[in-house]
Amino acid sequence: MNRVAIALWNPIVAKEYRSRMRTWRSPLAMTVYILLLGGLGWAIFSGMSSAARNSFNGAQAANYGQSLFLWLVLFQMVLLAFITPALTAGAISSERERQTIDLLFVTKLPSFSILWGKLLASMSFVLLLLLLSVPIFSLVFLFGGIELDQVAAAFLVTSIAALTLGIIGIACSTAFRRTLPATVSAYGAAFILLAGSLLFGLLFPTDPDPNATTAPAPPAVTYLSPLLPLITIGTNGPINGYFVRYGNGIGLVQGGGMACSSGPNGVQSCYPVGPNGAVIGKGILGRPYNPPQASGTTIPSGLFSGWQYWQATVILESLICVVALILSALLLPPIRHLPWRRRARTGTAGVTDR
Amino acid sequence: MITVEGLTKVYGHRTALDDVSFEVPTGEIFGFVGPNGAGKTTTLRILAALLEPTSGRAFVDGADVSQQPDRVHERLGYMPDFFGVYDQLTAFEYLDFYAACYRQPKARRKKIADDLLELVGLSDRRDQSVDTLSRGLKQRLCLARALVHDPAVLLLDEPASGLDPRARVEMREILKELQKMGKTIMISSHILPELTELCTMVGIIDHGRMRATGPVDEVIQRLTSGRRLRISVLGHKEEAVAVLKPLPAVQAVSLVNGAIEAQYEGDDAAAAGILQALTAAGVKVSAFNQLDGGLEDAFMRATSEDGG
Repeated sequence: MNRVAIALWNPIVAKEYRSRMRTWRSPLAMTVYILLLGGLGWAIFSGMSSAARNSFNGAQAANYGQSLFLWLVLFQMVLLAFITPALTAGAISSERERQTIDLLFVTKLPSFSILWGKLLASMSFVLLLLLLSVPIFSLVFLFGGIELDQVAAAFLVTSIAALTLGIIGIACSTAFRRTLPATVSAYGAAFILLAGSLLFGLLFPTDPDPNATTAPAPPAVTYLSPLLPLITIGTNGPINGYFVRYGNGIGLVQGGGMACSSGPNGVQSCYPVGPNGAVIGKGILGRPYNPPQASGTTIPSGLFSGWQYWQATVILESLICVVALILSALLLPPIRHLPWRRRARTGTAGVTDR
Repeated sequence: MITVEGLTKVYGHRTALDDVSFEVPTGEIFGFVGPNGAGKTTTLRILAALLEPTSGRAFVDGADVSQQPDRVHERLGYMPDFFGVYDQLTAFEYLDFYAACYRQPKARRKKIADDLLELVGLSDRRDQSVDTLSRGLKQRLCLARALVHDPAVLLLDEPASGLDPRARVEMREILKELQKMGKTIMISSHILPELTELCTMVGIIDHGRMRATGPVDEVIQRLTSGRRLRISVLGHKEEAVAVLKPLPAVQAVSLVNGAIEAQYEGDDAAAAGILQALTAAGVKVSAFNQLDGGLEDAFMRATSEDGG
């Protein structure tokens, strides 16, 4: 236990806390964060208040609460996607630039402890920002429509996504010698994680099986984005129609919807229509394509069938975290004991001997 | 205490170290001398287990730097040729942080930091921010940092570079104090006169090759076989020059700044013979000094041979 405690709590964490909190940047970052998030919350809140002045009932209040919550969690995620890479992308590379990394390598601290210390210090600040946002999120409960477990799930998804971005930032910082390329690549990775995975779902949507009895689900890659589970948590509803190809290859149908008609036997069949009302997908033999619609917040089919969206996201992002941490731990030590490097070194030694 | 055997380091097509070998016994101060790019820092970084040699082996207090880096780090205090500053830390916090990194118990860390600040003369700067210290004070603090775990061996890369004469003297005194404490010290430096005074052993490296190594006097004697005399005379110098030139021990005679400089071959007896010849010829000798080129002379001779 003592060894674990030593590995988890090391001098770098204390030093980083001390250095970070003694500058004006940290209080400024916290203030700006709260102002931005609070500003959005206040804007939505006041917009809803004026709308509710004319007619207001319990159901509308629940909708307002849900809408406010959805916007807040999405905006918080985007804010953290901007903040977290900035916190971690310079963690190791700045030590190199300051030429202090060698001084750490010659101490008794293992390389992993250096990484962990940097990560823990950065992520503690992110956690602090998340805690600071709790009072703003409590506005949601004035309206209702959101349960505590939804808030918990949203915060879990946001935290894991921020952790993933943080670890990716650390990995970039380890891989690049300079902070600038490390920061650029960390932001690139953040964009890919948040938006790139969704873009992939739009470009390569799921081809639904006409004979399937379950609703088609978005491609598994899209679960990497924390935005998808945050939407399902916020709306407390399924993802229908998005990232699924309906006949003409368009993944995301905008302005259209489902057209339904009653058959001779009285059974209603539905099929997607475009913005102009034209049928854009049909089943085989010209019969109306009638894809089953997902209900609830579980993934209806595919690799993660039966899982909640947020569960899939948490698992996938945790995997990314583990891989990125292992890579960073392999890349960081000054003398890397990698099998392929050892082979290369033997080759070089041969040249030297000659 | 430090053993280096056939150390070679190749970067791409450039050989930074070529079969370097030397040994530093316990308690010695080893001056590691060489021009820029000679391979001094590369050697020190390999010894600090921060760089992998292409071939060869190195040991610090019996620990193999390639196989047992953790044991090496326990025994070694390393001071690089730069000073990495952490903003927002005081001198005390800086030392306390590194003492914690070396796993010194919390109860002892305060005493360690205070004792080291006193050793390097920074007790009055205890609570001053590190980044506001002058270069000389930073160097001293950096030396204190290298001592937080009481290592047996110190590797100091250019500890006096960029320091004013006073700071150099202070640094030299601290190093002498450390030698008295039984530390084995390896210093790389360009400032040769100081090394001559401070070091007990010297190694001269050039273009990645060890040109000479051993006790300072031995190396100087080995490399500076031709010795020089500076002679001042009363009256006509030409007379003295005429006496000196035919002497078999004298190789060359020249006039430098109003004095005669004579290069001769041989030991102290040969010098005494030259003085005797001058006085016998009636030359009034007012000063007769042996010019000891010392380490600088030895360094110039060692590094001028087959440079590449």
